[in-house]
Amino acid sequence: MKKLLIAAAVAALLAPVAASAKEMTFASWGGAYQEAIRKAWITPFSKESGIKVEEDTGPDTAKIKAMVDTKSVTWDVVTGGGGGLMRGVKLGLFEKITPDMVKTDHVLPGARNDYAIPSEIFSTLIGYSTKAFPATGAQPKSFADFWDTAKFPGKRTLPDAPETVVEAALLADGVPMADVYKTLSSEAGLKRALDKIRALKPQVAVWWSSGAQPVQALGSGDVVMALGWNGRFQAGIDSKLPIAMAWDQQIPQVGFFMIPKGAPNKAEAVAFLNYMVKPENNARLSEYVAYGPVTEQAWASIDASRAANLPSTPERLKNALFLDIEWWAENGAKVTEAYKAMLKE
Amino acid sequence: MTVIATSEGRSRSAVGQGFPVWLGLAPFALVLAVLFAAPVLSLLRLAFGEGAFTLAQFQRLIDVPVYRSVLGTTFGIAGLVTGLSVLVSYPLAYVMATVGPRTRNLLLILVLLPFWTSALVRTTAWIILLQSNGVVNQLLMAGGLTASPIAFVYNLSGVLIGMTHVLMPFVVLPLYAAFRNLELSTVQAAESLGAGPLTIFSRIILPLTAPGVVAGAMIVFMNAIGFYLTPALMGGPGQTMIAQMIATNINKELDWPFAAALASVLLVATVSLLALFQRRFGLDRLIEGGGGKAGEPFTVTSRGRSWGGWATVVAAVLVAAFLIAPIVIVFPMSLGSSPFLSFPPDSYSLVWYENFFSTSKWMAALTRSLQIAALVVVISVGLGTLAALGVSRMRPRWRALVETLFILPMIVPVIILAVGLYYLLAPTGLVGSIWGVTLGHVVLATPYVFITVRAALKSFDGNLELAALGLGASWPTMFRRVMLPGIAPGIAAGAIFAFITSFDDVVIALFLTNIRSRTLPKLMYEGVAHEIDPTIIAASCLIILVTILVLGANLLVSKRT
Repeated sequence: MKKLLIAAAVAALLAPVAASAKEMTFASWGGAYQEAIRKAWITPFSKESGIKVEEDTGPDTAKIKAMVDTKSVTWDVVTGGGGGLMRGVKLGLFEKITPDMVKTDHVLPGARNDYAIPSEIFSTLIGYSTKAFPATGAQPKSFADFWDTAKFPGKRTLPDAPETVVEAALLADGVPMADVYKTLSSEAGLKRALDKIRALKPQVAVWWSSGAQPVQALGSGDVVMALGWNGRFQAGIDSKLPIAMAWDQQIPQVGFFMIPKGAPNKAEAVAFLNYMVKPENNARLSEYVAYGPVTEQAWASIDASRAANLPSTPERLKNALFLDIEWWAENGAKVTEAYKAMLKE
Repeated sequence: MTVIATSEGRSRSAVGQGFPVWLGLAPFALVLAVLFAAPVLSLLRLAFGEGAFTLAQFQRLIDVPVYRSVLGTTFGIAGLVTGLSVLVSYPLAYVMATVGPRTRNLLLILVLLPFWTSALVRTTAWIILLQSNGVVNQLLMAGGLTASPIAFVYNLSGVLIGMTHVLMPFVVLPLYAAFRNLELSTVQAAESLGAGPLTIFSRIILPLTAPGVVAGAMIVFMNAIGFYLTPALMGGPGQTMIAQMIATNINKELDWPFAAALASVLLVATVSLLALFQRRFGLDRLIEGGGGKAGEPFTVTSRGRSWGGWATVVAAVLVAAFLIAPIVIVFPMSLGSSPFLSFPPDSYSLVWYENFFSTSKWMAALTRSLQIAALVVVISVGLGTLAALGVSRMRPRWRALVETLFILPMIVPVIILAVGLYYLLAPTGLVGSIWGVTLGHVVLATPYVFITVRAALKSFDGNLELAALGLGASWPTMFRRVMLPGIAPGIAAGAIFAFITSFDDVVIALFLTNIRSRTLPKLMYEGVAHEIDPTIIAASCLIILVTILVLGANLLVSKRT
């Protein structure tokens, strides 16, 4: 009995110490993506800092909003795309991240944001079947080729949401990169984009809703060309599916890490973000998935063979139109309605 | 017999001794008020403005034509799927009622198989079967039946195939129960009076099995309205359904007021449709059916099967093939070595099974799903059976209203309930524990039990109850010895539906669990925007195998005793 009492007393003394051991919770989308983040950043960060990182999954913006509203935030860092970030910022779901918290001078200017730290760059581009278009003949290179069904016959697949598709349509129609969003902002410009897509509709066999679909459709031969994500096409290529990518024209997007408002371990979260965005660390993610670094300084740590599969090399960014997340936050609802209506015709 | 017959008119209104209506209704009503009405209404009221009252959201719904057309599409597809499900269920239920117990149990396993595969696995298998270079088209072209591939998927037919496949079991089970309740003597009498198979079907079988069909069809219709994964993956842009738009507005656009407006319109439209249906066709009268079930249960008469009977058997074989087609190809697919699914696989390996057993998360999630589903079955069978008993003893005036209220959780889009429950449960600390998600599933599952038990009670002979009570049995004794055995098939069907509802749910789990309490479907959906991890196919195969083994062992044991 006495021993038990002593044990309890010792435990009571130790308890506050144990509670103050530093930890934080990171939430992302599970699967191969979260596994890559774990290997590239979470495990080495824990080892270096002594901060224990708990993982969770499913950081839907709706759930973040519910957490923030009910003051029951359990996540310290969440991942998300530009759309979720902008809508969340509008509703005040994320902490502002100032330069004295996380330094981002070295990050690509187009990728910076006041409420998030960019983690990686992925890209929407053309993937095509090398069975239909082998290297011996003509291979599609530009969005104009995607629309050219005479030169490159066969079925296509496009996303069932308008992001990246309306941009690609205008680029294919000859609008210069710098004018794409200006054009889309006008009634006539949006109509021009939708008309271009409408003209291709009979050749579109699949309107995809999940990133795995375009690869599956290319692999089975149901389509010969797809507008999809480079990381997915790369995974297909790595599994020996007959697929190649056209790198000459692309629409890159940025992946972000955010701190939900009221996160319980903000200091640890900031430490993690600082670690993740350091050039030599940021470079590491591309060892596990085909996503590019967000800073030019990272290329020093990436060898040429790996760089060949990544979308954000200085060379490739020259012909790239970054998805304008602020434009989409402003116009997304309206454009989505028009796009869905065009598809339903 | 005559004595009982004369008391028939009284028997239905006289019951109620020993079982107060409120005792039946109160528990489920309480659960609905706290865990359903409160959270859902708190979200739906956003449709009318946060602060000042406005109808701006509804104005947008009217101004933009695409929303009206999506609403129309939703009801159209739900109606078609309901019709198809009833159509293909008849032959199967007929055969199940007219074969020996062995074949019947085999068919029962077959009908339930689609339930055990995750929606994600099912749709993937269908696409691989039906795509233009898919298995079916290759067979058709090799057989010279068609010169160019037929477009089965990415259009309306894809959606109808995918949805009917997984929803038809909801009709088959109650329909089979209705067939069992048919009296053989009725059919024999008709046959001896010279009625052919068509007449027997339209004049006897159809009206007498109507209660089962209506119960099943209602479940299918309301379920179908809430579908969006299958239409998104197997349909084209013309098949976008309203649930998908509601989920997008909740999750992606974060436009909750507009999502609330869409959900409110869906809710009002569905309830009005049900009310209209009820007034026009007399739902209550349809369900009423049945009567004394003292005679021999329905089976093949001594004359053997008619030509109509044999034609039905052929149809049933085709339906059975339709049910198992995607499940059959799932097994070889799970043995492929590539992370990109194909059939037949280029090379074989057990890597996905190794993955399932070597990564603890899969077993942990499966165990948790089973725990939660078991809890849900126990709670919802209790609540649903009590509620059905209570409603059957109510005055007809209020009955329809209460009945509609009790099935509302089937109509409200799950994501609305999930978000509402998060707000309700977050302060209690239940979010993240298995109890939060269990409570959510109970709300979703109890209406299924309510509907199936209600149908069973309607075809239960009130005279038996009256006789037992008249002979001095107390109400509990009568319930245990007379009524319970009578409505057991209905309770069993409800329990199965409740289990599936819990075991297949993603949305509630997405909001109310975390990595330590996540369920198998939630784990399967992680990363699905990017990739399909073939481990989920291996997991589905294992679940199917275990189900077949358990049911098969059960079959052997029950045969020996």
